[in-house]
Amino acid sequence: MRKITQLAFFLALIFAFKTDGGNLPKLKLKTIKGNTIDISTLGTGKKPVILSFWSTHCAPCLRELKAINEVYEDWQDETGVTLYAISVDDQSSVSKVKPLVKRFGWNYEVLLDTSGDLKRAMNVTNPPFLFIIQNGKIVYKHTGYTTGSEEDVYDKLIALTK
Amino acid sequence: MRKLQLLLAFLSIISLQAQDFGHFSGGFVSNAQWYQDDTKTNSVAPQDQFRANNYFNLNYNYKEFSVGLQYESYQPNALLGYSPDFKGDGIATYFLNYKAHDLDITAGYFYEQYGSGMLLRTWEDKQLGVNNAIKGIRVKFDATDFLNLSAFFGQQRKGFELSQGTLQGANLDFDIANIAKLDMALNFGLSYVGRYQEHSNPNPAFPDTVNAFSTRLDFAKGDFDGKIELVSKGADARVVSGTIFNNKFYKGKGLLFELGFNKYKYGITTTFRRVENLNMYTDRLAYGNAYGALTVNSILALTKQHDFSLPNIYVYQAQSGLSFLEEKAGEIGFQVDAYYNINGGYNLALNYSKWNGLDATFDNVNETYKTNGFAFGEKYFSDLNVEVDKKFNKKIRASLGYINLFYNKGKIEGGHGTVKASVITSEVNLKLAKKKSARFELQHLSSKDDKKNWVAGTVEYNFNRKFSMYLNDMYNYGNDDTTKQIHYYNVGAVYAKGATRFALGYGRQRGGLVCVGGVCRFVPESTGLSMSITTTF
Repeated sequence: MRKITQLAFFLALIFAFKTDGGNLPKLKLKTIKGNTIDISTLGTGKKPVILSFWSTHCAPCLRELKAINEVYEDWQDETGVTLYAISVDDQSSVSKVKPLVKRFGWNYEVLLDTSGDLKRAMNVTNPPFLFIIQNGKIVYKHTGYTTGSEEDVYDKLIALTK
Repeated sequence: MRKLQLLLAFLSIISLQAQDFGHFSGGFVSNAQWYQDDTKTNSVAPQDQFRANNYFNLNYNYKEFSVGLQYESYQPNALLGYSPDFKGDGIATYFLNYKAHDLDITAGYFYEQYGSGMLLRTWEDKQLGVNNAIKGIRVKFDATDFLNLSAFFGQQRKGFELSQGTLQGANLDFDIANIAKLDMALNFGLSYVGRYQEHSNPNPAFPDTVNAFSTRLDFAKGDFDGKIELVSKGADARVVSGTIFNNKFYKGKGLLFELGFNKYKYGITTTFRRVENLNMYTDRLAYGNAYGALTVNSILALTKQHDFSLPNIYVYQAQSGLSFLEEKAGEIGFQVDAYYNINGGYNLALNYSKWNGLDATFDNVNETYKTNGFAFGEKYFSDLNVEVDKKFNKKIRASLGYINLFYNKGKIEGGHGTVKASVITSEVNLKLAKKKSARFELQHLSSKDDKKNWVAGTVEYNFNRKFSMYLNDMYNYGNDDTTKQIHYYNVGAVYAKGATRFALGYGRQRGGLVCVGGVCRFVPESTGLSMSITTTF
């Protein structure tokens, strides 16, 4: 019982503070092109940025990124969004990331989080996990993917950029 | 518990002082199971039928500082198949980090990886029950925009305790393309890891310190990219099931080579790897433990990872260790990935891998062995995967796959026997009206070996974006023993909203290896009700 009250106090303490709208961690990741990007510099302006955590062997992740890819140009035109696809593939599959991106013709910025540092820093348990960032704050989070749920992301983007 | 209270007090003080500043974030994961007896599978529920693995993360950032902790609770015991080191509850990891300009300092628990991880990789996987974070100090320094340095020392986590041995390491990454103003990516890396562990061995040559090094080079230009990595490990004592052999000490080495050429229309990537006696542990006595505890490096299988259930029955695990008993000194092999986009929207992908033991001879009397360079020894595994994917229209997307595999069960799992099997997989995704969708899977595995034929299927129906239900079944209909012709069925529901996911299911878990990302864990057969909650805030 003591433990439960302690835990309740603990949780109350956290929720007493605004946990939404956090900043992005200061972490540098490599892109598949070999460049380095500082995560904390993403989505600092009014134009929204999507961070989508995925891996080459996560079937729903691939379905989501394929589905978004088909409407990505429209999304970019209408909302100015940029999608950063963050691969959490480890050494056993990281070599498959670049071929897969080319094979599906994705125009996303693809980042490699091979050691899982960003995944941990953003408390992502399992991919697919999608964040929308605007004005340097996290404004939307979504876990999992079911066919068609990219439309909800689109609705959110439209609402954010009205 | 007192630690938690202290930390709470500490956090409250920070947060009170930093009213409008700073930011909390975190997450909660709970995987619970209520085990039941099952007369069909002969699995008996443990005495404490209800078990749960719970993880609670809390991070707080304020300007250049961040603090965080992970509280873990295994009540009353961890789920079946997890290491018994995970028992009870407490703060398992915590850290204090300072990050400014070019400096990044961490005190407490941290995760680190050098290169591909063949030399050093500490990581966490809650599903596998692996967490070998290092507790100590780490400093990273970006000296210039083309030179990054880092170093650490510490002990490794084992359950709620720490390793007896200590680790130290240093890493250098040098961006050659940047300094030489090349129109391509070209990086050079150099790393060192050392382990120190006291001993009371009478042999004066017995090593307390084992040093290991790696060098690597990677490049990318246009449609080409590639990398090479070399690892060498100093001599260490041989340990078999906790028994130390103190006459001879053995060095280890590894070589990884990769080359790819990929365009939109077609592409090919090949990886070659040879590893010999490369397993490294913070505690020499932990050598070969079943739970992957205290591992310094990680050498994962370079094969295709499957998300279908049947090909996951026979999954290769890298054989990087030395065993006189099993006459294994390491592995050598390659993997090829190729794809071709055929006109009409068909997407064809091909994967082939082949992994053999090193060609080695063992002298048990003198406790020596000799490997024959790059020669391939006994075959451990091979698989050929062909996959076609096509989107027919806005509503239908389908894929078809064929796998032909060879699995040397004796060498991979221990014991005897090899398995040849072919698997056919198919999947259809349907988009229905009004935010509804459905997914169907059908698979068949045919084999004349081991447990023979299997068939499996899945039906998933998404009532809306938040709520879905599923039913899946794996049926070992070909088993020679008719009492083992069992349906491993699972039925369940998932509710996901925002960053929270809640799942409830009931069914049977197949016993054997359960693999995540090329790492496998042995789980006993079990039946019961499972619940899982994940959330982040």
